[in-house]
Amino acid sequence: MLTTTEVSPEAALGASTVTFAFSDGAEHSLSIPAGSSILAAGLEAGLPLLHQCRSGTCSSCLATLVEGEAGTLPGNNSSLFASEMAAGKRLLCVTQARGDCRFTLDYASTGGQQVSAAQTFVNAVERVAADVVRLELELAEGSWIDFRPGQFIQVKVPGTDQTRSYSIASTPAQLPKIELLVRLLPGGVMSEWLLNRAAPDAVVEIEGPHGAFFLREGEKAPHIMIAGGTGLAPMMAMIDQIRARPGRKPPIVLSFGCQSNDGLFHREALELRQYWLPGLSVHVSVDRGPASEGVRVGNPVEAVGQGGSIDPASVAYLCGPPGMIEAARIHLEALGLAPENIHSERFVAS
Amino acid sequence: MNEATPIRRRTTVRMPTSDKRLNDSASQSQYQPYKDAAWGFVNHWYPALFSEELPEDKVEGIQICGIPILLRRVDGKIFALKDQCLHRGVRLSAKPTCFNKSSITCWYHGFTFDLADGLLSTIVANPDDPLVGTTGITSYPVEEVAGMIFVFVREDDFPLEDVPPLSADLPIRFPENSEKFPHPLWPAAPSLYDEGAVALGLHRTGQSNWRIACENGFDNAHILVHMDNTIVHALNWVLPLGILPDHEEPITLIEDEDGPKGMMQWLFTDRWKPVLENEALGLKIDSLNGRFYRTSVVMPGVLLVENWPEEHIAQYEWYVPITDDTYEYWEVMVKVCPTDKDKAAFKHRFDRVFMPLCLRGFNDCDLYAREAMEEFYADGTGWDAEQLVSTDISPITWRKLASRWNRGIAKPGKGVPGATKTSSIRMRRLAEGKAPGYFVEKIEDVNNY
Repeated sequence: MLTTTEVSPEAALGASTVTFAFSDGAEHSLSIPAGSSILAAGLEAGLPLLHQCRSGTCSSCLATLVEGEAGTLPGNNSSLFASEMAAGKRLLCVTQARGDCRFTLDYASTGGQQVSAAQTFVNAVERVAADVVRLELELAEGSWIDFRPGQFIQVKVPGTDQTRSYSIASTPAQLPKIELLVRLLPGGVMSEWLLNRAAPDAVVEIEGPHGAFFLREGEKAPHIMIAGGTGLAPMMAMIDQIRARPGRKPPIVLSFGCQSNDGLFHREALELRQYWLPGLSVHVSVDRGPASEGVRVGNPVEAVGQGGSIDPASVAYLCGPPGMIEAARIHLEALGLAPENIHSERFVAS
Repeated sequence: MNEATPIRRRTTVRMPTSDKRLNDSASQSQYQPYKDAAWGFVNHWYPALFSEELPEDKVEGIQICGIPILLRRVDGKIFALKDQCLHRGVRLSAKPTCFNKSSITCWYHGFTFDLADGLLSTIVANPDDPLVGTTGITSYPVEEVAGMIFVFVREDDFPLEDVPPLSADLPIRFPENSEKFPHPLWPAAPSLYDEGAVALGLHRTGQSNWRIACENGFDNAHILVHMDNTIVHALNWVLPLGILPDHEEPITLIEDEDGPKGMMQWLFTDRWKPVLENEALGLKIDSLNGRFYRTSVVMPGVLLVENWPEEHIAQYEWYVPITDDTYEYWEVMVKVCPTDKDKAAFKHRFDRVFMPLCLRGFNDCDLYAREAMEEFYADGTGWDAEQLVSTDISPITWRKLASRWNRGIAKPGKGVPGATKTSSIRMRRLAEGKAPGYFVEKIEDVNNY
């Protein structure tokens, strides 16, 4: 166990002792020279730290500073909000220690997963809304990836050298099938491929898994899920995972919102989940009317907690555009949720 | 990354189907979890043995939902553990070895497990091995009621604190439900939980998927197969050709919180109409002389036939999945017998009439009718290809409710009998004239195998 009262010899030379506390109780301490990325030092020491972009964008390497001081490395930017920084959140890839400090990680020390590349075949391409395509892939013979529900993969757009990141909407139990929900963007390279060239049996290269946004296993507190647009994908995976999990299931509230009625999709799939999981309730919203039956006009964030009180012990999963995530965090913390129980994945369309 | 040309896995081709059937695609997707449950629904209570099959200190091995389970009775109390040594997979029950009252030892290498929690407590010839105390085999909660032993068949990681009471997986009781489900034509059906309840019956292995068996139990269109059963003629029953739903709610769901989940069929009310004539075939029934009865089913597939085969008796049935193509068929008659004299009289009539004419004669028809469907459903495509009609509202309602209220879909058995259909052991047993079954075959004579 680390004692922080002693000044280590490295500290005098500009090194700090950084402690990583994993959710399973495992702790590791490292001496990290001033001006170094904590993530880079941790990975070099073989710690199972989740990460992906290494440039302060993707939030995979999110950690919480609980003791000491740590700030952003000069010349780098963190995509975290000021409110998140104030709450101790740090992206380890662009963070340096300013003296001895301690971080908590909300995943287990066994969490380091093998990122692998894989080849897949297209099984189906289906337009499910005005601007959303459901893409079903199947891993080729001899190809495999592992992932946790909620995580994303990188997909190489066939015929280009571009890659895009998409959350997986299916569960690990459904492998070798992988389902993605892709938002169509005018002029986007993936959109262009999906609309004009994608067809069953086309070969697609993927790589993954990525991200620290995944379902925390064994959690019995009520679950709140807020999804904007194709942010529904990781929620579908998590709901199906919970459905297949042994033991009593937590109550789940899913609030799903799109901009307008013609952007809505997966309503039948959600109705089926509600039928199969008596503890699941679903609110569907559109930002602007008109709305079809059973759909409210408004944003998906404010729909949570409207019908009654929310258990402050709830855990929340948020996936959508940055504005929605920020609004949802503020809303849920006002409802009494602890910041560490709010997990989020923001996406930017590209 | 594999640089060679990627190769597709084996894919299945779906045959086109018509949406005129009652089981159209929307309805089918609602009961997809049921279609996935070839090996049964796990994390439910199932009957394992009759009490008399497990006397003091006996060990028996059985298989439910692809899970091998052993039972041992010590000082009257029954313990159930996974019947598969964690060392190298030996079935402990094949040659039961117990050195004390609190454990069972694998007869091969001496791995010894605590009966109460399955923990590896010692190894006969290796007591200081670091593995001791760090691992174990799954234990299963047990209940014994009215002469039947029930086991909560759980997945290894189903938390013990989440195990529901046995009553959550048994039929609803009467008269407490008589107001909700009135039965003016017969007295309140007895329950296993009633004081003085006596359960007499048998269990035997059927060679079909458990779902086909279960659906037969409450299928109202199958009266035809029973037309020539001896009991029907001996008692001068005249059955209709069939019965058809004739109401917006011919079946009511049973979905009370914490209670059993299932459905009640409103038989012998105006919600079901008897069919007395088929002109095309020149068939006509003049005067019915039926038996009034009613069927209900609850998860995980427990049938209750009220007022059957005579007043004050109810028939209970279970279709316990063993593998994806075998099930243990339980036929049990329950009657409240307050005195020993009543008990003896019930047993007397059971042995002479009900066993040969009902549980054998009448229900034998059901057994072979299920097996006649098995080949069609065996590879899974039958569930897509079947064409159901209006009377099949019963199985469809059941499939939907089972999709909603099951506590888990059993994974295909691994390392157990029936998991590999072509294993040499299975082949040898077949050659010896032994059909795949429920019990573990014991090594009886250690010097002569």
